[in-house]
Amino acid sequence: MNADTAAMIWLALGAYLGLGLLIGLGVAAFGLARLTPGAAHMPWRVRLLILPGLAALWPVVLLRLAGVRAPEDRT
Amino acid sequence: MAASFSLVGWNRFKRSYDFALILGVALFFAAHLAAGFLGAPAGQAPSELQVVIRASGAAAFSLLTFILCIGPMARLTPRALPLLYNRRHLGVTCFLIALVHAALVLLWYHGFSQVNAFISLLTSNPRYGSFGGFPFESLGLAALLILFVMAATSHDFWNAVLGPRLWKALHMGVYAAYGLLVAHVMLGAAQGETGLAQAALAGGSALLVAGLHIAAGRREAARDAAETEPADGWLNAGLAADIADGRAVIVVPPEGERIAVFRDGAKVYAVANACRHQGGPLGEGRILDGCIVCPWHGFQYRPEDGCSPPPFTEKIQTYRTRITGGRVFVEAAPQPPGTAIAPSLIEEAG
Repeated sequence: MNADTAAMIWLALGAYLGLGLLIGLGVAAFGLARLTPGAAHMPWRVRLLILPGLAALWPVVLLRLAGVRAPEDRT
Repeated sequence: MAASFSLVGWNRFKRSYDFALILGVALFFAAHLAAGFLGAPAGQAPSELQVVIRASGAAAFSLLTFILCIGPMARLTPRALPLLYNRRHLGVTCFLIALVHAALVLLWYHGFSQVNAFISLLTSNPRYGSFGGFPFESLGLAALLILFVMAATSHDFWNAVLGPRLWKALHMGVYAAYGLLVAHVMLGAAQGETGLAQAALAGGSALLVAGLHIAAGRREAARDAAETEPADGWLNAGLAADIADGRAVIVVPPEGERIAVFRDGAKVYAVANACRHQGGPLGEGRILDGCIVCPWHGFQYRPEDGCSPPPFTEKIQTYRTRITGGRVFVEAAPQPPGTAIAPSLIEEAG
């Protein structure tokens, strides 16, 4: 692996997580209740705790916000 | 459960569990640091940071090995079940120790290079086409990323958002992470970064994990094979009198999920065996205060309709039952989650 490839990998990872952090902050502030009703009044320290997960899984989070769920979870 | 989310649902057991965890990690580090400093040949003493790097790597690997042993141990003996209840704290601790290990490696081995440390991590050993010379640091980095995703999604919130199946599938990534770490340690030994003893321990640990999983799998397969074939879509769950009060027997249908057949006094109910939380085996739990309690994390369901008591909203599938000649039969086809079904009464059997 050369330096350019290594730089591309870190850049892609950083861009993914950076974008995820921005989306995660927005979701943690305004979108949690739409994800699951139990999160409507989640304390801020818990919102901070789940922020890394929001940054890592932001594509899934956006799908859930759009209402996409697996059939077995629509109960 | 899903009515609200807190940082950690602390109770006395969890406090004791975490105290034992912290104490265990501290003792491991102390023993490893002492061995690192005192056991080195004269004149070849490693630096303090090198010893801490090795201790943190060994601690993270050992903790992950222990975590992976807990599941099959709990299936082999109920005495190991308490280890299972708070396993996520072990996982998060494992990730944090691995993160410290990675940060110190980056600082010590790549931080003084003229090349950016992150670039250096991936390029200092360019032999990606070699088997024995493959850069083992990259394997450790890949494992760290998997552990990060798992630690970041360990809170109950993620189970509710992702759904039990996706959450479980995501967390099965722990096996990929473990495989990468075994290769990380063994390649590191082959390339002279760690000793052969560490490589042997890593290999032995992997064999232990595999052996326990195989033993637990064989036991479950034997139990499944012993189940009676269904007749007219109904499964034989055995004698009603053999089901302990407040407990269950687990029935395996030809297709679909396992079924937990509970006895509550003279009443017999059947529900899906998998808890909605993390797929815990409800049939290994018990009925307390009128609710089935999952043995893993205490999630509760009413046996008559598979619903969690208010304000919680989880629902599991329920099954029709009947008692004939003292034997309990369960309809193999499940009812939709939350469907109320009248219990079979043992008194009616005679």
